[in-house]
Amino acid sequence: MALLDKYPATLTAKTAEHLLRRTMFGATRADITALTGKSIDAALDALLKDQTAPAPPVDPTTGQTWVNDTVQSSNDGQYINYMKAWWLGLMATQPISITEKMTLFWHNHFASARSVVNDTRYLYKQNVLLRKNALGNFKTLAREISIDPAMLRYLNGNRNTKASPQENYARELQELFTIGKGPEISAGNYTTYTEQDVRTAARALTGWTDNATTVTAVFNLNQHDTADKQFSAAYQNTIIKGRNTATAGMDELNDLLDMIFRQNATSEYICRKLYRFFVNFEVTPTIESEVIVPLGKTLRDNNFEIKPVLRQLLGSTHFFDNNIIGAMIKAPLDLIIGMVRQMQITIPNITNQLAFYYSYFDSLRPLATTLQQDVFELPNVAGWSAYYQEPLYYQIWINSATMPPRANLGNTLINGWTLTNRATGATMRVTFDSLVFLQQFPNPEDPNKVIDNLTQNFFAIDLTSEQKDELLTKVLLPNLPAYEWTVEWNDYMKTPNDAQKKALIKAKLDALIKYMMLIAEYQIT
Amino acid sequence: MKRRDFIRGATAVALPLSLSGYSARAMGLSPMLESLAELTAQADRYLVLIQLAGGNDGINTVIPLDQMSTYNSLRSNIALPENKVLKLTNATGLHPSMVGMKSLYDAGNLAVVQGVTYPTSNFSHFRSTDVWMSGSDYNEYLSTGWAGRYLDNQFPNYPGSYPNASMPDPLAIQISSTPALVLKGSVPMGINLQDPEAFNRLVSGTSVNGFTTTPDTAAGKQITYIRQVQAQSEVYAKVIQKANASAKNLATYTAAGVNPLADQLAIVARLIAGGLKTRVYMVTLGGFDTHNQQVNATDHTIGTHAVLLARLSEAMTSFQQDLKLMKMDDKVLGMTFSEFGRRVGSNGSSGTDHGSAAPVFVFGKAVKGGIIGANPSLTNLDNGNLKMQYDFRQIYASILKQWFGTSSSEYSAVLSKDFTQLPLIQGSTSVAEEQQTFATNGIRVQNYPNPVSTSTTFEYTLPYTSRVRLIVVDAQGHAVTTMDEQQAAGSYSINFNTASLASGAYTYRLETERGWASGKMIVAR
Repeated sequence: MALLDKYPATLTAKTAEHLLRRTMFGATRADITALTGKSIDAALDALLKDQTAPAPPVDPTTGQTWVNDTVQSSNDGQYINYMKAWWLGLMATQPISITEKMTLFWHNHFASARSVVNDTRYLYKQNVLLRKNALGNFKTLAREISIDPAMLRYLNGNRNTKASPQENYARELQELFTIGKGPEISAGNYTTYTEQDVRTAARALTGWTDNATTVTAVFNLNQHDTADKQFSAAYQNTIIKGRNTATAGMDELNDLLDMIFRQNATSEYICRKLYRFFVNFEVTPTIESEVIVPLGKTLRDNNFEIKPVLRQLLGSTHFFDNNIIGAMIKAPLDLIIGMVRQMQITIPNITNQLAFYYSYFDSLRPLATTLQQDVFELPNVAGWSAYYQEPLYYQIWINSATMPPRANLGNTLINGWTLTNRATGATMRVTFDSLVFLQQFPNPEDPNKVIDNLTQNFFAIDLTSEQKDELLTKVLLPNLPAYEWTVEWNDYMKTPNDAQKKALIKAKLDALIKYMMLIAEYQIT
Repeated sequence: MKRRDFIRGATAVALPLSLSGYSARAMGLSPMLESLAELTAQADRYLVLIQLAGGNDGINTVIPLDQMSTYNSLRSNIALPENKVLKLTNATGLHPSMVGMKSLYDAGNLAVVQGVTYPTSNFSHFRSTDVWMSGSDYNEYLSTGWAGRYLDNQFPNYPGSYPNASMPDPLAIQISSTPALVLKGSVPMGINLQDPEAFNRLVSGTSVNGFTTTPDTAAGKQITYIRQVQAQSEVYAKVIQKANASAKNLATYTAAGVNPLADQLAIVARLIAGGLKTRVYMVTLGGFDTHNQQVNATDHTIGTHAVLLARLSEAMTSFQQDLKLMKMDDKVLGMTFSEFGRRVGSNGSSGTDHGSAAPVFVFGKAVKGGIIGANPSLTNLDNGNLKMQYDFRQIYASILKQWFGTSSSEYSAVLSKDFTQLPLIQGSTSVAEEQQTFATNGIRVQNYPNPVSTSTTFEYTLPYTSRVRLIVVDAQGHAVTTMDEQQAAGSYSINFNTASLASGAYTYRLETERGWASGKMIVAR
């Protein structure tokens, strides 16, 4: 059976959860229920459905957006935090859809950083572009990102002139965004392109700049190199004809991308990145020949539309292989947003609690930053190193600096914290009521069922019976007989308003959930 | 006396002939002094690696004052005014913002190694960073770092049997939340942290006991890794906190939060003074990818690059002063590295694109201060890039042997080839000593005819297999041509075309791994 054969079985709660965890940020019980019993096609229909564009971020103190301002506001340094909160909010509250995860995939792929671009309006526009094309056409996206105002700033495409070409974008376009760099087979020859191709591509891309009033790209013919551009044998010695018209910049960009996308290496490169983002880091020769190469062909056969590739990859028997489930380490946003969703924490309402809504996600933002996944602030042009840096890959997310704060997250969410409305000074507690949470599972009075149900809810892989036993006897009920739980639970249910009884049993349950969230098993997905 | 086996049989592949075109000071150690250095090597010698991430513009860091007209014409929009450059010698100076490092140089605590890169340099940030960190050839892919391999060799069976009485402390510490390849051995050999106090506080709240079983799947491998990180964090958090708390910085650093490198080095100094036996520290200063506006348009001595170099200089100077006051300065050696230098000619946006060779700084009380190598030629270029003068692994080799006193077998666990050492540490030989040594080794070189018209022949006998460089230097000290290749023992006659040389006096030098010899010739037509 080939690895990309369609997964034949109906989704169970476990396989539905695997699909949801990988394509979204954690899985809620409602989403798992919705996909359980569905065929893989039906599940992917739901996940791959086009979504309407979300409303733009606003300043929660005024309720107004700034994204269409014609002048950068002096509050821009605050707006970037609102925009980060806005995106984390979209991740946490989206319906069943791969859109936000794919938008994050493209954000990692076409990296950017506020510290370089320096204008939140630009980054908003880029985020809209990525989301609009998240499930669209790779070649279209590559074209639009090449003249995206934020990208023009980030990689200095706006400073690339015929008199002194600036090769920053031309290099990364090839090395990281499209064809990918192969082995250096001789000086300056990276198999898929050469150093000379970098310089030549830079010439084809001369003349673009950005307009900070309209936040758009502008082409200046008088800064454009109108001579022909001759590429190396890696590109079959292609010549891009130099143009001298108002559309020269776009025409030559299209020619350049046509040349790059003609190479099979380009479609295979992006499929390898999708594989590492959604499936596993390890691209063995078997994975290369049985997954990457055929996916690349699917991409080309479909004129670079992304959906058919995602459908084939996420709907494959390989994706549901026992060795794939749990093979990834949760990226910080998988961990943080996933935790919020798994715990069904009540998020302030965006309509009538706007300030608290923003304040809630603004308080999650520094956690993501500490764990090294700060959106709109990629560490460098290659994106987060967990997706490319051999040999550790996802293990880079976890080290002695990040593991202690990761392990503390459960504690933070269970203990809750206070949100403040900056404008009015009003406060609001966000909490997690483990007792309410537990009641949605059957048999909350049975301690073994409690362990079973919570284990299933929180972990990507099953724990062994010894591990469950330890959770029961050492964490939930240390030095107590198992029936103690049943007695206390029934007591509490009889008098749910008895604060003392409630506190007693809640402390036990909180301790169990905190422990579950700090063990290594919780870190994988 | 132990005799060094410089060439390890099969690994001695023939190097391609390259014309690197630079003069070079004699290098290498006399066998006697080398073994003395080895004898005095002690366990309490520490190394601090400073990564300048992004690719530092070497030519605006160490300015070739002997080529100012070329310099000014190739980079007029970023050129530093000659009268502002901090002169180290008549021919060489530092960027105006490197006042502190100038004083380190004057005190003999700073060595500048010119023109460092590797053959067939790669212009990708990511690949070139991997090459530098792993210590590989351009076409060799290693999944471990050079310092990681050194630590793996020195501390076998890490982490299983550590900490122990002889090594109670972390082997390496990186002040960052993203582990670097350079410290990766068979496992990551270092502890990552941002702040010793917070590290201990967080770790103490997340202690995990129990779970040891793992499934035999990819998920199981991740779980094992995560548990290892948890255990290592817990084991070392206390010793790190204790060391940090027991020491105070005695020198003044830039105010916290302003200069990230100073913040990191202040922690390193405390940990060293606090008594940690940690062998290697790693810190990073980012932002060197100066494609765009690396200088202020009207005053080239200020701007992005000036700020970065000021940070480097201030942090290094405070650190060195701190160590001196702590009386630890004879135990610590530091070195900077960056993935590449930048293009000689600037681009149109007052910046520089990716280049190749650049200077490396080695600092510390034990350092043999001075400049190693000649100014790079700004005219004799490889496709616009500086030519290699020294392989970066010559510096690693020198540190391993002269600083850490590794034996031959220990050395070969780190670097698979021999690299000619540079006299970086005091106690390595002076030029005069080397000359004497080489006289004893019996190397002679001569040329005929002399005076020379249009060609001459160099003759020499090589008593051993060695990498051999033959360098011809004009009266101004510029190397005009170089032969560089691996040669077997035997007699050689090298024909040398002098038709393009101006009339005048030249010196030539034959360098081998065990000695060098020189002569003079006159070109007269």
